Amino acid sequence: MKQALSLTLCAAFLLCLLAPVARHMQERPFVQRVGVSPQPAVMRFVTADQKQIFGALEVLKVLIYYGTSLEKAQQHQDIVHDFQGMYPLIKTATRLDPYNMDAYYFAQAILVWDMRRIDEANALLDYGMQYRTWDFYLPFFAGFNHAYFLKDYDKATFYYKRAGELTGSDLFIRLASRYMYEANQTGLAIAYLQTMKAGARNETIKKSFDLRLTAFMAVKRIEDAQAAFLRDLGRPAKTIEEIAQAGYLATPVIDPYGGTFYLDNTGRVRTTSKFAALPSNNAK
Amino acid sequence: MHHLILITWKGLLRDRILQGILVATGIFLFIPSVSVLSMRQVGELAITLSLSLTSFILLLIAIFCGGTALWKDIDRHSIYSVLGLPISRTNYLLGKFFGIAGFLLLISLVLGLLASATIWYVSLTDPPARPILWTNILMALTFDCLKYIMVVAVSFLFSTVSTSFFLPIFGTITLFLGGNVTQEVYDYLQTPAGAALPALTKQIALFLYYLLPNFAVFDLKANAVYSIPLPANGILLPLAYSLAYCGLLLSAAAMLFTRRELH
Amino acid sequence: MDAITIEALSKTFKGKRGRSVEALQGLQLSIPPGEVFGFLGPNGAGKSTTIKILMGLIRATGGQASIMGIPVSSHTARRNVGYLPENPSFYDYLTAEEYLNFTGKMFGMTGPMLHERSQAMLHRLDLWEARQRPIRTYSKGMTQRLGLAQALLHDPQVYILDEPMSGLDPIGRALVKEIILELKAAGKCVFFSTHITSDAEAICDRVGIILQGRLQCVERVETIMTPDAELSPGDSAQQSLEKFFLEIVRKGSH
Ligand SMILES: Nc1ncnc2c1ncn2[C@@H]1O[C@H](COP(=O)(O)OP(=O)(O)OP(=O)(O)O)[C@@H](O)[C@H]1O
Ligand SMILES: [Mg+2]
Repeated sequence: MKQALSLTLCAAFLLCLLAPVARHMQERPFVQRVGVSPQPAVMRFVTADQKQIFGALEVLKVLIYYGTSLEKAQQHQDIVHDFQGMYPLIKTATRLDPYNMDAYYFAQAILVWDMRRIDEANALLDYGMQYRTWDFYLPFFAGFNHAYFLKDYDKATFYYKRAGELTGSDLFIRLASRYMYEANQTGLAIAYLQTMKAGARNETIKKSFDLRLTAFMAVKRIEDAQAAFLRDLGRPAKTIEEIAQAGYLATPVIDPYGGTFYLDNTGRVRTTSKFAALPSNNAK
Repeated sequence: MHHLILITWKGLLRDRILQGILVATGIFLFIPSVSVLSMRQVGELAITLSLSLTSFILLLIAIFCGGTALWKDIDRHSIYSVLGLPISRTNYLLGKFFGIAGFLLLISLVLGLLASATIWYVSLTDPPARPILWTNILMALTFDCLKYIMVVAVSFLFSTVSTSFFLPIFGTITLFLGGNVTQEVYDYLQTPAGAALPALTKQIALFLYYLLPNFAVFDLKANAVYSIPLPANGILLPLAYSLAYCGLLLSAAAMLFTRRELH
Repeated sequence: MDAITIEALSKTFKGKRGRSVEALQGLQLSIPPGEVFGFLGPNGAGKSTTIKILMGLIRATGGQASIMGIPVSSHTARRNVGYLPENPSFYDYLTAEEYLNFTGKMFGMTGPMLHERSQAMLHRLDLWEARQRPIRTYSKGMTQRLGLAQALLHDPQVYILDEPMSGLDPIGRALVKEIILELKAAGKCVFFSTHITSDAEAICDRVGIILQGRLQCVERVETIMTPDAELSPGDSAQQSLEKFFLEIVRKGSH
């Protein structure tokens, strides 16, 4: 009798607690949730013979974290991002399983664009290339990073060549040289993003590529119009409005990241959103 | 001795542990849906998860069955009636050991089939980037099994000197973790940073590297998951190593157990 | 050749912090084939210790022992022995039938012979109905009966039984006495420990009384039971092993 009473009371108490506890966990500052991972060396020790699965788990953790923060950003919720925290996790994942493609792919797809941690990403890619010797994606990524972000064309050619050798086609070599020497950055990015998007399976990642691709297409439209303006009128346009008024942009160009496009004083197309999917409290 | 092996086998098959294993195998059903969380390697993730689950179940069996086998016999006094039979202590120990080893082999076979079925199912829709090498998967499973048989031998060695199950179980877990990390330490010693360590530290690390069982030798998961070709050495050497090391552990266990007083 | 030979056997249990127990001191005993020997002594006297040494479960600190001429340190010595441990316990996931099958095979018995013997033992010890139930479900007395069945199964020359009557009902005790007498008739050697003097009195040829690890005396039961014998103290009209035993214990503890 007494036991039944105490059982009922405790069960009732626990039931009352469940919702508040869940809410509390939901409301934790976002930073807490991507979590921290112990040093790679420590992880290698405790994961014993299960390194691959722990590596995969680290990547999944980061991916889910990224997916939710993207969602929250789109709902314009005020949150603290912990993008700095994602890189160590990805790095640990590659130390646990140097073959894990998800880790490199995520590093390239997200860390490079959103965090501009190009050097770290390249170091990861170089590390991965020692293991995934058959994979053309890694040198392809590295080539793009060198060409687009670092403007190191010699290195870019080296990596693109390697990618070309691995696929058996000279697509990458052609791609690299053509765009590099024309310095057609936007075209380079679009070609790259299209390749990436074609191979994307994960919805979050695919969405992020789509967004960026739309943005670059918009830039491309402005650049094309800008070029036509120069060709026809013999002088460079000063603002986008000028181009539009001259009739070179039939419809207004929209930045999918929510910013507005403008031309900087060198005449390059820029946007107030800086193409960041998330409010840029991360890009310190 | 083979009669004792059979009896041990019967005991394990009638134990609750089998039901536990059956429940755990249900997790295989979730692998396909978890695998699609991967961005670029759904097939590879399915292989990783399947092999890891198999490996983890085998580890639990090895530690718990291995660590409690002798303790149970002694604690429940059934050892007196068995050792009253004309069987030497060594043969008693070996009978128990091979009973558990055989059980592990059987469970590996069943789990291996389940793992292969899961991998095959996932690969229908999401084939890995490189074609699956089934021989590699077979080898990874086989060597996992060998590794856990060696873990059982470790737990037997601990059991022969212990009166409870604490040392066999926690000692084996510790040695298992240790045996997985010595290779890391050894690799670290080969780097410039490692070479700069004090000589004594290096000597101790090297000593442990050669003394402790090197379980990293049996880890062929990367080869199975990413279809990395296996060199012949990668098969023959671990095989020979496990034979030699198991033999060593069991001989030491037999020596200690023969001297042991059963009050 | 004697069935069991024990020479200057001693055993000291080393305890923690130097405390040690001298469980056996200079035990000297030999038992010929065809004899039923009762090993008597109060609790903690050293009976089970002696038997465990004979079965190779613990090692003697001094002296030696052999069974049918084979030193007990070798497991081959146990080929000729049927052993019943004190408070026996068996692999409880097996049935009685399976357990007997297992022990029989360990003694090299095979096929129909084993089957026949095991059926006979199950009938004899009244375990027939329960033979296909796991031993886990057995009562204390039933387990004791199974212990006797497995000791008798392979028809050895020597029987070493640690308290064979313990846990048995009066019918069971009568049965065990009957069986031991049959073994004696067949020329086997039976060495058993007990506290029950009346049982020993009824079936033993000789008894040995051990007290605090020292053998106090070894005597033929007939001699003890003879009135007016020099040995037998007290009331000479009603001689019994019990009185004799109590007297020895009283004398020994002074
Ligand atoms: N493992 C041990 N460590 C220390 N002392 C022990 C050990 N086993 C037995 N002894 C001691 O040895 C002595 C003899 O024990 P033994 O079990 O032989 O007695 P016993 O004659 O069989 O008694 P009982 O009639 O109660 O069965 C006892 O004093 C006991 O306390
Ligand atoms: Mg006793």
